[in-house]
Amino acid sequence: MRRVAVSGFGVVSPLGNSAELAFATARSGRSGIRVLDLPHYPFANRLSTPLAATAHLDEAALFTSMQLRMLDRFSLFALFAANQAVDASHRALAGLDLDRAGVFVGTGMGGITSQDEGYKTFYGDDSDRVKPFTILLGMHNAAAAWIGMEHGFRGPNMTYSTACSSSAVSIGEAWLRVASGQLDVAIAGGAEAPLAPGSLKAWCALHTVAQLDPQEPHASCRPFSGNRSGMVLGEGAAMLVLEPWDRAVARGAPILGEILGYGLSSDGSHITRPSVEGQAAALRCALQSAHIDAGAVDAINAHGTGTQANDSTETAAIRAVFGARAEHIPISATKAVHGHLLGAAGALECVLSLMAMRHAVALPTMHLQTPDPECDLDYVPGAARDGVAARTMLSNSFAFGGSNAVLVLGAGD
Amino acid sequence: MSTTFERLSVILQQSFNLAPERLTPDATLAGLDIDSLGTVELLWKVEEVFRITIPAAPINPLTLSDVVHHIDQLVARSAAPLAKPPRVSPATPGAQAHPAT
Repeated sequence: MRRVAVSGFGVVSPLGNSAELAFATARSGRSGIRVLDLPHYPFANRLSTPLAATAHLDEAALFTSMQLRMLDRFSLFALFAANQAVDASHRALAGLDLDRAGVFVGTGMGGITSQDEGYKTFYGDDSDRVKPFTILLGMHNAAAAWIGMEHGFRGPNMTYSTACSSSAVSIGEAWLRVASGQLDVAIAGGAEAPLAPGSLKAWCALHTVAQLDPQEPHASCRPFSGNRSGMVLGEGAAMLVLEPWDRAVARGAPILGEILGYGLSSDGSHITRPSVEGQAAALRCALQSAHIDAGAVDAINAHGTGTQANDSTETAAIRAVFGARAEHIPISATKAVHGHLLGAAGALECVLSLMAMRHAVALPTMHLQTPDPECDLDYVPGAARDGVAARTMLSNSFAFGGSNAVLVLGAGD
Repeated sequence: MSTTFERLSVILQQSFNLAPERLTPDATLAGLDIDSLGTVELLWKVEEVFRITIPAAPINPLTLSDVVHHIDQLVARSAAPLAKPPRVSPATPGAQAHPAT
């Protein structure tokens, strides 16, 4: 297997539209979660929790009119983040055999905004004027396809939809293909734009979203806190350029980090209730894949959604794998500030983790105000911790459906 | 009142950014860089402007005059009495949308 370098990042997120900005905002603890306003979200008054972490992209300035007609919001996010990543890679595509270049995108809900709009036209407005490109906008693999077309890639063009672990899976699968020698470059990551009215309402109906904190709405998502009440949806995209380590070094590329391994497991038990055994199995599988012991892990980016079930289960799984040492590993739950980007969450958290290692920082878990006896590890509460010289991190993604994925990340030195 | 061709030209100028001098009756859609997807989008706009329903079956107009011909036929048909079948709801008593077997 070849070493695999990360040579480019791209981010669209509630914390800003670059890796640097998203990292700086996460480090400061400033939250991208806000109350949805009626002018922009006409159905907000019908949501039990009108909250989300929204991304802001000047689409009219950044895309052609053709792209604005043909690409759903999640594809626009994906394409913008992918182009950022390619630009940041200092010409990773120069001289590339395009047959050996692939795209790997994770998304949970695909082009739900366009589908929702089509349903509203047909059912809500009783109109037959459903837009002709609704299928092309709405299909899950549209984002990957547009990225591939943008750069003329002719290798595998793959889309993974394993709910909240989708983009940890897409990065892991891309890593496997680059490491095995099948590909020379992969653009990998995730994209999600789930804030369509019907989708927001459906999430509220599931009773997994946080209650609105009327005093501090931006602090409504409280991972690992005793008073946590659920997750808050977010939108955005994060993309990475992966290439063989030796190629990146030979061309003098910026090396932003390294993918060291990737573990998968399935709970095999319940559609939503997480399993300690399932999550621990994914953690162990990841360590095995990277050929490292548990003792080599310096820090963890938790799945940390802020739901009752996830956070206590994840804590128990980390304890099961790391034993007493679990208490000495800094664990960051950044969803407190960027929300749950579902199929893009794993990719955004992968980027934030690699940035954290480069800056020797453990990112904070914000809004952790109340101790919970079932969540008794070091979550870096309330403020970033400087001087954490982590060289190896895990990034956890645990999904509805019991699809667990864990990435092993290296600082890249 | 504008002719069908003139109204079609307005759609092409507004939605496809085409210069009016390129819009002649014998101009081909391919020559105007309107591919199969572009044709679908054009017909969607045509439906709205001319208040007609274009059948779901694929149609492949070659030139702008072909498009005009299609539109004129459909406009004439929709103007005829009972040209458009009434909507039948499965809930309508006596409706036979899904005959019992």
